[in-house]
Amino acid sequence: MEIVQGVLYGFQVALQPINLLYCFVGVLIGTLVGVLPGLGPAAAIALLLPSTFSASPVSAVIMLAGIYYGAMYGGSTTSILVNIPGEAASVVTCLDGHAMARQGRAGAALGIAAFGSFIAGTLSVVLLTFLAPFLARVTLSFGPPEYFALMVLGLTLLTYFARESMVKALMMAAVGLLCGVVGQDTISGRLRFSFGIRTLEDGLGLVPVIMGLFGISEVLLNLETRDQDRGIFAAPTTGLLPTREDWRRSALPILRGSALGFGLGILPGAGAIIASFASYAVEKRASREPERFGHGAIEGVAGPESANNAAAGGAFIPLLTLGIPANAVMAILLGALMIHGLQPGPLLVTQAPDVFWGIITSMYIGNAMLLVLNLPLIPMWARLLRVPYALLFPFVLLFCLIGAYSVGNNVGDGVVMWVFGIVGYLMKKFDYEGAPLILAMVIGPMMEEALRQSLILSTGSFAVFVTRPISAGFILASALLVLLPLITRRRPSAT
Amino acid sequence: MRRDLVSALFWLAVAIFAAAQGLALKLGSLKQPGSGFFPFWGGVVLGLLSLVLVARSLGRQSAAGPLVRPESSRLLVVAGALLGYVLLLERAGFVAVTFAFLLLLLRLERRGWAFSAATAGAGAAASWALFQLWLKTQLPVGPLGF
Repeated sequence: MEIVQGVLYGFQVALQPINLLYCFVGVLIGTLVGVLPGLGPAAAIALLLPSTFSASPVSAVIMLAGIYYGAMYGGSTTSILVNIPGEAASVVTCLDGHAMARQGRAGAALGIAAFGSFIAGTLSVVLLTFLAPFLARVTLSFGPPEYFALMVLGLTLLTYFARESMVKALMMAAVGLLCGVVGQDTISGRLRFSFGIRTLEDGLGLVPVIMGLFGISEVLLNLETRDQDRGIFAAPTTGLLPTREDWRRSALPILRGSALGFGLGILPGAGAIIASFASYAVEKRASREPERFGHGAIEGVAGPESANNAAAGGAFIPLLTLGIPANAVMAILLGALMIHGLQPGPLLVTQAPDVFWGIITSMYIGNAMLLVLNLPLIPMWARLLRVPYALLFPFVLLFCLIGAYSVGNNVGDGVVMWVFGIVGYLMKKFDYEGAPLILAMVIGPMMEEALRQSLILSTGSFAVFVTRPISAGFILASALLVLLPLITRRRPSAT
Repeated sequence: MRRDLVSALFWLAVAIFAAAQGLALKLGSLKQPGSGFFPFWGGVVLGLLSLVLVARSLGRQSAAGPLVRPESSRLLVVAGALLGYVLLLERAGFVAVTFAFLLLLLRLERRGWAFSAATAGAGAAASWALFQLWLKTQLPVGPLGF
């Protein structure tokens, strides 16, 4: 009953005209950044964060969330039509989606991607609706040791799923923890790693760091390769509706992708990218004709596209119930909620029910908007893809610059963004991933506080982390994840 | 691989620096961890991981994976333009700096002068309208008043 009331209340909030407008703008921008390669949802949300300062917290978060799941829709369009993933989570869609386009079935591929995304997105929001309040109640009993152990598990999971070496991912997590230390110590009030620089005294800003690592570095990397001819297929305006045969083949992959995506989305660090690869692997294995995969199998589009959308829904669970972000995008949303004076975590559902239920129900509406919006707009997105990168990138850089500056009207933040842009570029060159760094940087201060509080509670004994059952479970799981690759010497292969 | 070695040594230096800073900030005791506790142990963990990477990269043959260097000078120009933008923004004002920034990058891509100037002008004006007028961002004003 409680949930039904919550949902009804949520719809009252989400259906207010102003929130509908923010939701619409969010999913539209999300689709746009999804379509455009080289500008991801993390950078886009960071960029638009300052523009939401004047809005109410609910409206702000509804829009920012819309950008995230909207990008999952948009990413598929570029993958299918251009064979360049618009979004990291759509990499795997290139394989069969673009093959379908070559066979003249771009319409069916785009259609099933949109329908699959809609179905999976909606299913994951239903699961979110029922699970989030329940989990919020459970996590209310968590003390500092449980929080610390859970964050250790989150970071370990993130590095476990790392595409490159796990050692490098763990290193980036350590660097992120150190970045999180910069600024004032919340317990003693002492300044750390600030070297007398005013900007650093408040800590490294999340927005400039993300803009640098994910925005600037991406552009710098793209600049190294001269504009290649992008083979864009004429956008189909008809034949977007999948045939009965398409539906028959796609129904199970969509459902499996939804379940898989949601489950992986909840885990900190796994997220949409892993979910899409895992779904592809599952569909290939489940298929009676696996040889069709890579040559335009519609299952290879339906599964992963559903999975990445479901993961986007699942990722909200740790944010809304624990206040722990599952990925870089959630980390910025966490920042956004805090800027608007809200503390995400188990108390959010009671302290700010309008935000909690408003966000969840807005996702039902947003998913419906995306379906209605996406199919007719596909020709427009395709035309946008023809804009040469040489014209596009100066504006992407400009928006990053404005975004970094306008968070605090501080030139220092621009310098921070520049430094992290160069660092991010070098990290890509040397095969380091940025995601563990960002996540660790955000949860670093929470982790440090939880660790120090736990040690104060236990009068200096680390046993507190293994004598409390929940915390012991998290620590054990983390240890297994680190040791597993050493024992089996086999890393999980994505495809 | 050589580049793993280079990067691992870099992070090792970062780790040593962080641990040293942590020590200087006072570790405190386990019962009452101080400000330096977390950075010190963070640095230690990073250092150990870097050493693992060093060991691994030495174990492998170093033939593969040459050191990377920027393939084109335009990368340096863009990086310089970005830093220049940041440093000049509050001195020269948003519109002027944005115009110069866009003009430089468009010319870098070998667009004609007229086209570049027109696009840069339109871009600067449109982004000023979008952020200053519509989104109410406080953009820096130059000596010319915008």
